[in-house]
Amino acid sequence: MKSRQTTRARLDWRDLIVEALAGLFARPGRALLTVLGAVLGIASLVATLGVAHTAGNQIISSFNELSATSVVVTTDRGFFGDNAPRVALPWDSETRLSRLNGVVAAGSMADVNIAGDLTSSVPLNDPLGQTEFQVPMVAASPGLYPAVRGNLRTGRWFDQGHSERADRVAVLGIGAAQRLNITRVGQQPVVFVGDLSFVVIGILDDVLRQADLLNSVIVPEGTARELYDLESPTTIQIDTEVGAAALIAAQAAIAVSPNDPALVRVQSPPSPESLQTQVESDVNALFLVLGAVSLLVGAIGIANVTLVSVLERVGEIGLRRALGAGRRHIAYQFLLESTGIGLFGGVIGASAGVLVVVAVSASNDWTPVLDARVPLGAPLLGAVVGLLAGLYPAWRASRLEPVESLRASGA
Amino acid sequence: MNNSAAPLMELERVGRVFGDGEAAVHALTDATLRVHRGDYVSIMGPSGSGKSTLLNIMALLDRQTSGTYRFDGVDAQSLPEGRRTGLRAHRIGFVFQAFHLLAHRSVTENVAMSMLYNRMPRSSRRTLALEALERVGLSHRADFLPTKLSGGERQRVAIARAIAPHPTVLLCDEPTGNLDQVTGRSILDLFEELRASGLTVVVVTHDPRVGLQADRILEVEDGRVEMLPQSNRRVPSER
Repeated sequence: MKSRQTTRARLDWRDLIVEALAGLFARPGRALLTVLGAVLGIASLVATLGVAHTAGNQIISSFNELSATSVVVTTDRGFFGDNAPRVALPWDSETRLSRLNGVVAAGSMADVNIAGDLTSSVPLNDPLGQTEFQVPMVAASPGLYPAVRGNLRTGRWFDQGHSERADRVAVLGIGAAQRLNITRVGQQPVVFVGDLSFVVIGILDDVLRQADLLNSVIVPEGTARELYDLESPTTIQIDTEVGAAALIAAQAAIAVSPNDPALVRVQSPPSPESLQTQVESDVNALFLVLGAVSLLVGAIGIANVTLVSVLERVGEIGLRRALGAGRRHIAYQFLLESTGIGLFGGVIGASAGVLVVVAVSASNDWTPVLDARVPLGAPLLGAVVGLLAGLYPAWRASRLEPVESLRASGA
Repeated sequence: MNNSAAPLMELERVGRVFGDGEAAVHALTDATLRVHRGDYVSIMGPSGSGKSTLLNIMALLDRQTSGTYRFDGVDAQSLPEGRRTGLRAHRIGFVFQAFHLLAHRSVTENVAMSMLYNRMPRSSRRTLALEALERVGLSHRADFLPTKLSGGERQRVAIARAIAPHPTVLLCDEPTGNLDQVTGRSILDLFEELRASGLTVVVVTHDPRVGLQADRILEVEDGRVEMLPQSNRRVPSER
């Protein structure tokens, strides 16, 4: 006994946890039902955020690096613009555009009118096989090769010199080369387009843009001007640095057509960021409200059940007070019980929410994407909700007078 | 226990009024009494006489509206709530008519609960609880749930809970009120043993058989306390 009378009552936090848990497990069925309210709220929040994030990520992944760095300038008159005046793209477009900051490569091209001339390789007298084909011809500038991210199977691409001298050289797209049965350029094979012969200097294996090139005979612009009276390029392909597409799109029209920039058409990729944000906010606004409402309902459920529990356990509260529990000890115990319900609901809810995200992603063939802070923060949110829901019941419990509590529950 | 000559509990003209104005109920008026260490005191009176109010004030669960009450020399009225709570945790053991055991906790847990709020190290709580259960003769029920016990056994658990932290005084409110005669008798024997071991026991009851067991009998009638003249110390063998 000593002189312990001056000591204030106290409660070890571990004991507090044990008491709160015991309080919860005393009525496991009710505790589980209460947890369910928090589970639904947290699960819908996590699922909402996860699905929105996943969907948004699907959109951004369709805007990959390739299309995000491509700007195309054409003189197309557009669908309804048949009568609009047409400007000619200048021959030095490539040079003009290359000077713009943010342009990695630029190249111009144009379909060449070969008036139905057929293309053949070295005449071979094969009475059974077809030796002449209709192959489109494209005139290209030297810079087109990097601008379309081309890849040569063999040989080389022509340069500015070929174009200026109007050399009769050609690069074959892989499709055209196969039809003409040309696989090597080491011995300078020749193709005939109508009566004109061209030395094949390279075979184009692959392009990432302007895939028509793969089935064409590609000649230097200078050559096409001299032999076929080509008037001007019709398409300019620009490869920009990542993030520069929007800027280049605005500048390209002025660069190639300073007098009438409005008459050229510039195709640039839409801003993926804006699209993603839009989609996410659409999904979020709708379902976040739903999640918040269910969380609120869950919180009210926790508050209700905790309050009922307080009223039911008036005798226990009186007993604890008689045994030396302070008001705050009673309040802590009920706060901890409601917080525990919220925390437990948050853990289950976060797991359920993640499962929903995975299920939705699987059914849409999406890659599930979830901000790690969402499932980790959800239990915390649940605990906070439980804590807030428990404030009033805990306060009520702590206000009970021990004498009345003991009397009210007597006998 | 600095001065064992001073009374443990000293009430002087203590009154308790519930409500105010016309509706005021004078549950207790002018209660003056002393309880010394080692006393076995019973407070008797018909129901509604104010004896439970008196016990609640002595137990620091309630505050008087007039007069002074000193617990171990300290004026209880002047103590802040925290200190009163501390005294309840450390110095006072309670036994209620309705037992007040938690149905979903084992007997040992129920007993250990009285040490939850008084700085008793966690490790020694179980030891003390088992010790107390042995004193009331219930060691074999340590892991039972209270719902599996008889009324007398439940009250013994409640007494074990009260004495486990070694309080200075045991306050009992109609401890045998819910028990049959034989069981009640065994509880009274237990009080006698506890008193013999030095514990101060105060029992509130309306049952003369219970009250007469004590060394001193206080009669409460209409809120007034009267000390019955004799201190007829009863010979234990008389039982």
